[in-house]
Amino acid sequence: MSTALRHQSSSLAAVQSRVGKRHHVLQGEFFVTDDPEILLTTVLGSCVAACIRDPQAGVGGMNHFLLPGAMERAAEKEAQREGVHMMELLLNGLFQRGARRQHLEARLFGGANMFAGLSEIGRQNAAFAESFLGYEGIRVVRGSLGGNQGRRVEFWPVSGVTRAQSIKAAEAPVPMPVAPAPRGNEGRGDVELF
Amino acid sequence: MSYLSHLRVMIVDDMTTSRMLIRGALEELGINQIAMAADGEQALKALMVQPLPLVISDFNMPKLDGLGLLRALRAYQPTSKCGFILMTGKGDQALIDKAKPYGVAGYLAKPFTAPIVKAHIERIFGRM
Repeated sequence: MSTALRHQSSSLAAVQSRVGKRHHVLQGEFFVTDDPEILLTTVLGSCVAACIRDPQAGVGGMNHFLLPGAMERAAEKEAQREGVHMMELLLNGLFQRGARRQHLEARLFGGANMFAGLSEIGRQNAAFAESFLGYEGIRVVRGSLGGNQGRRVEFWPVSGVTRAQSIKAAEAPVPMPVAPAPRGNEGRGDVELF
Repeated sequence: MSYLSHLRVMIVDDMTTSRMLIRGALEELGINQIAMAADGEQALKALMVQPLPLVISDFNMPKLDGLGLLRALRAYQPTSKCGFILMTGKGDQALIDKAKPYGVAGYLAKPFTAPIVKAHIERIFGRM
């Protein structure tokens, strides 16, 4: 699992494909932009996506990660390194486009308890993301973590408009190595505006 | 008691979480004399007052990046011989090429584990 994550995050530039001005962020990827027309989307189950932007610099981005569930201490550290790396890639991408740390605002989504027996994974991912942002002094403005339903998230990084819609378990992506749910799934559920 | 317990190291990284993880990896190896800095400028100021034998530095940082820090350390006689390990993104060959002329002792591709850090330190200071 960790190898797959690493592989994806390093080759993300190559695999990023746009459909119009819409960009879907898959597990292990991140995307940063200052183009106000770009809409970032993702579909989350136990995974977490951080949507972070600097409203003053007009730049924002999203990542999408899953820390492998880990009970052993050593494995837990390994998982944390992966998570920190994913957050760092997003933050460095923002800084390179002029974002300032003190202006950043973050919204966290995902971390749902999707499957019996895997329920800890969603919670661990949500806790990791919250504590990371706490340590780095990055303000968490809104978002939606936990619960037992997957989420479809839409985020306009420049304006900051964010929409999260809950989806049926069957439509939520199964964490890697199985491929995430294909684009264009019509979800049904409540819409929350952020 | 290995020499690692006597080795003094500076970690330079702008992410608090990264500094903590690297510190944890070094402590696993028995390295306890650890100084930390949040960017190249802070590190340079501290190292000019108190040179240390080993610096493990991130590349992407505000004010002074890892390459800038390396060049400044090499230009100042008391720090010109310190071991310097640069943390890079995976496969960032352009950065590695830029840093090479300044005598980098190793490159750590994030994310990395304690045994990888150990291998790098052994390459600089010899086996324990």
